[in-house]
Amino acid sequence: MVTKAAEPDISARLGGLRLSVPTLMGSGCYGSGEEYASLVDLAQLGGVVLKSVTRLPRLGNDAPRLVPVASGLLNAIGLQNPGIESYLASDVAKFADRPCAVVGSVAGFSVDDYAFVTERLAARDEIDAIELNISCPNVGAEGETFACDPDLAERATRAARAATAKPLIVKLSPNVTDIAAIARVVEAAGADALAVINTVRGMAIDVDRVKPKLANVSGGLSGAAIRPIAVLAVWEVARAVRIPIVGQGGIETARDALEFVLAGATAVSIGTGNFTDPRVPLAVASGIRTYLAERGIATLAEIVGSANPGFRGAR
Amino acid sequence: MPVLETPPLVHETVVSDRREPFSDIVIIGLYAPKIAREARPGQFVMAVTPSGERVATALGIYEAAGDRISLMLVVVGPRTRELALLERGDRLVLAGPLGNGFQLQALGKNVALIAGGVGLASLLLPAQRLLADGARVHLYYGARTAGALVDAELFEAAGAGVSLATDDGSRGHHGYVTELLAREGRTHETIAACGPSPMLRAVGTLARTLGVRAQVSLEETFACGVGACWGCVVPLERSSAQAPAFPPVAPGETRDYVHARICKEGPVFWSDELRW
Repeated sequence: MVTKAAEPDISARLGGLRLSVPTLMGSGCYGSGEEYASLVDLAQLGGVVLKSVTRLPRLGNDAPRLVPVASGLLNAIGLQNPGIESYLASDVAKFADRPCAVVGSVAGFSVDDYAFVTERLAARDEIDAIELNISCPNVGAEGETFACDPDLAERATRAARAATAKPLIVKLSPNVTDIAAIARVVEAAGADALAVINTVRGMAIDVDRVKPKLANVSGGLSGAAIRPIAVLAVWEVARAVRIPIVGQGGIETARDALEFVLAGATAVSIGTGNFTDPRVPLAVASGIRTYLAERGIATLAEIVGSANPGFRGAR
Repeated sequence: MPVLETPPLVHETVVSDRREPFSDIVIIGLYAPKIAREARPGQFVMAVTPSGERVATALGIYEAAGDRISLMLVVVGPRTRELALLERGDRLVLAGPLGNGFQLQALGKNVALIAGGVGLASLLLPAQRLLADGARVHLYYGARTAGALVDAELFEAAGAGVSLATDDGSRGHHGYVTELLAREGRTHETIAACGPSPMLRAVGTLARTLGVRAQVSLEETFACGVGACWGCVVPLERSSAQAPAFPPVAPGETRDYVHARICKEGPVFWSDELRW
């Protein structure tokens, strides 16, 4: 009689945040999680990164906000949200019963914004960790500035770090010359983990109407189209920092996710993939288990960065 | 935990029949008993593209009876082309029924339906339900050419009157479908419409001219289909019963409307509450 091998352990640790499954749902793609409760068993997800919240209410960009393009999606939502006070009063309590981790996402337009909103949001018991969105490409020049300037990235991170002891994940932009350099200063400023990457700037033009397809003109490109860009970014960041990385950009299958893990990501985030098929996160988790089991590997952590000779993180 | 008590809305369905009444217009019948049972007139499904390579496609539920539903689609790009190639016995994953349908009670007992192209798909269930409830229903149906006017007989069979229009004059009125109703004047209590945005805007203008209210079902690109991503918004009066709660906006904001999600608060709205 053969003893059944124990199921591989695919849990992941991002600073003090433990995920039973290494899949986060990308900010802005999954609302507050409850929107998807009729399509997916949320208990099978690692966690949901909530839609970004800002200090003041924002109506967001005018429509159209979405354009499907080859192998991807362009979006320019523009950080629509009710502002932190209304959010705390009416939305946050809904997250108390979430059967997976809940990561609050903070966006801002000044260092003070990041500190203020992080402190207010992280103070709530319903929130397990904070993701600092310093890389929204769709709110005019100021939105992404924080992720593109090492000094501002450092100051925003330091301010948020001082505002909470909860795990702090900082989301980086691919729209920079040297993402590793930004990663280093954000690590030094006290981030517990890095989310790599946010969307890639892009646009599409309606040649019949002779005008941009998005009301905002430019948008953020996501989906399979950006996966190779994202994998390289994770590869480079993993050689530059020791803190864990959440790999994201076009993940639709377990093999996609494993590319990120082998490049150096401790966990992955799925955004646009949910729009292809809401069952993608479940298939990713089960496919990772199968991959490990077939190779006799006991834990996902063992293979993090194993394709990347310069990987500096802890396994 | 209340959030998990919602019945799952993801269904593995099987193609039971397929017809192509005109080139690039395809009607796919599916064995989908749960959706057939639960669908309300005007709701939609998200169809997972068979290759899994593209964002799912939103489609209005065309027919729903017994264990069968059907979807009508026009081939406009790679996603709809993939769906159009489905054959009897193929599997198709659908999420739904989603969205709020038409408010049939509010439409009253004498209703004009206005359909543009495959917008027709969202109007058959409302027509059947209204007629069953004793309302008078007249369909005004426009398409680019005679062949693209498909299935008007299904509405006639259900007991609706039918008037047709084509862009090229090959059948019915030569011109816009809204012109047919404008010519008749105020002969109906309300309007329910589905079709491309320019037509729906014209319906809104017509309704105002005629002094009647219109419910319009908007066609838009959805990403999530469940209200999570805020990608498919339309400007809506704050006073609308369908307006999502939203605090007064920041200093410097000049827009006095709110953004409503077409997939969640809609896809059907009162035209006089839209600010588009």
